[in-house]
Amino acid sequence: MPAVEAAGIRKQYGSLVALEAFHLSVEPGEVLGVLGPNGAGKTTAIRILTTILQPDRGSFTVAGIQNGRANAIRQKIGVLPESAGYPERQRAEEYLRFHARLFGHSRASARAVADRLLEDVGLHERRRSLIGTFSRGMRQRLGLARTLVNDPSVVFLDEPTLGLDPAGQLQVLRHVRAIASERGAAVLLCSHLLAEVEENCSRVVILNRGHVVAEGTVAEVVRKAAAPRSVRLHVAPEQAERAAALLADSPAVHSVERADGRPGNLTLVLAVRSGESDDAILKDAIRVLLDADVELRSLELEGARLSDAFLAMTEAA
Amino acid sequence: MAVVEAPVEHAVSQRRVSGWTVVLAQELRDLWLGGRGLVLCFVFSILVSVIAYLVASSTGFNFLEQRESASLTLQAAITCGGLLALLVAADSVSGERERGTLETMLLTPVPRRQIAVGKLLAALSLWLACFVVAIPYVWLLGRDVGVVDEALVAGFVVGTLLALFLVSVGLVLSVFASSNRISLSVSLFLLLALLAPTQLPSGVEQAWAGELVVNTNPLTAGIHYIGRIVISGHGWSDDVHLLYAPVLAACVSVLVAIFVAGRFMRLRGGVSG
Repeated sequence: MPAVEAAGIRKQYGSLVALEAFHLSVEPGEVLGVLGPNGAGKTTAIRILTTILQPDRGSFTVAGIQNGRANAIRQKIGVLPESAGYPERQRAEEYLRFHARLFGHSRASARAVADRLLEDVGLHERRRSLIGTFSRGMRQRLGLARTLVNDPSVVFLDEPTLGLDPAGQLQVLRHVRAIASERGAAVLLCSHLLAEVEENCSRVVILNRGHVVAEGTVAEVVRKAAAPRSVRLHVAPEQAERAAALLADSPAVHSVERADGRPGNLTLVLAVRSGESDDAILKDAIRVLLDADVELRSLELEGARLSDAFLAMTEAA
Repeated sequence: MAVVEAPVEHAVSQRRVSGWTVVLAQELRDLWLGGRGLVLCFVFSILVSVIAYLVASSTGFNFLEQRESASLTLQAAITCGGLLALLVAADSVSGERERGTLETMLLTPVPRRQIAVGKLLAALSLWLACFVVAIPYVWLLGRDVGVVDEALVAGFVVGTLLALFLVSVGLVLSVFASSNRISLSVSLFLLLALLAPTQLPSGVEQAWAGELVVNTNPLTAGIHYIGRIVISGHGWSDDVHLLYAPVLAACVSVLVAIFVAGRFMRLRGGVSG
């Protein structure tokens, strides 16, 4: 049974349609990336699935519970909202105990849960500190701990790494992966950081202007996007000028640019030839260099990344 | 740093924990241990001290009898205590909304009505604290004329009814207000508007329209009831018609506040969406 299943959801604010025919399905233990530019409808989708907003149309289930039973759904989910605030004058353990109590824990059980979760997210030593003294990264980890006080079946994380330094991002993402793999919870991860999604999510959904424009594994989404492929080459610096000239003359190449200040780096855009795959066109371009004994040191196909698919899909729509 | 562990079996209480008691306990901690309640009580005690000093100490300034002094101090305590409780209630939802802490509370399985009850009672605690602060002043001013007991009982009953009414109104405003500033300023304006009839000349008050205004406005009716008990020495039941408005206002406003909070407590303020 899917941990989350939604179909045909529509939400309108005044004349603005925030979501239209929104659908998704997430399995237990899976991390689903929800992507989209600002205003795409990600937060609206999360708020509907977490029962904060009511859909105008459509239905969904969370942990097998129909959307009409909001309180029962809330018992099964953990949510870290993008704009979550924290009570500055509460202590970390007090904050977690309070939320555990709201989910029905007894005093003793709430204390035990708060202690364990603070240990898990590396804040146990600061458990008696006021939240007002916490850095953004510490607050996010505390927020992540809060999402787990009820041992949720589904965890919704809206931009959990926003504003964090790289070390903080890594810490939070490690926890996100652990929530899925060790707890078996389904995780919906909304993020603007495409590399983060690419590395941590088993599947992705791309939203644009309220519509799902792509869904599937990262590879499937990239393939569907048919993103225009550019290739970054690194050749021996003394051969860069000759390589650029050869590529410019090749019918497999649309254009070539030499990267300023980085000797030997070339960026080329493959030509579009009907009936031929990008792979075949790329092979033709590379063969031109190899036939001329140009020393090819590295090659990176840029169009194969999620970011390219994301841009192709959200700009084209 | 440890990786988030798989959950151990932690027992969610078999005995059902009432959400409103959890919310109330946390709100009381935030209000009193967080210091805000103590600061407000301190401000209240200064205000009551000044009023008590003015009505009791300076014979050149003071034309009041001792009964009138005790009554006036009690009325001021009820008004100021009610105002502070009103402001705390008016901040309770819109303030949390602006501080970004409302969403996490709405995401818990506690029904919104219970959240409202917890917040409402926490705001009411400020009135109770103000009343305790006012007791020595009333005792000091009323002990020689033997009205302390009557004044304190009447003050507690009327003050609690009015405080219930005011915190409920504050909560409703807070639920609907699109910003905390609007919630607080409308609450303050409303209290001043309700107090305006206390400034009516006695001739106007005694006319039928004036009497109607005084008797139907819970604040003026309650304050007049205290005056009749403390100053005029009337019995508890002699002017019971003056308690109708405060009792009705308290009951109706509490029910409305709980209904409104259950139905309309949302992430966004305003009346739509």
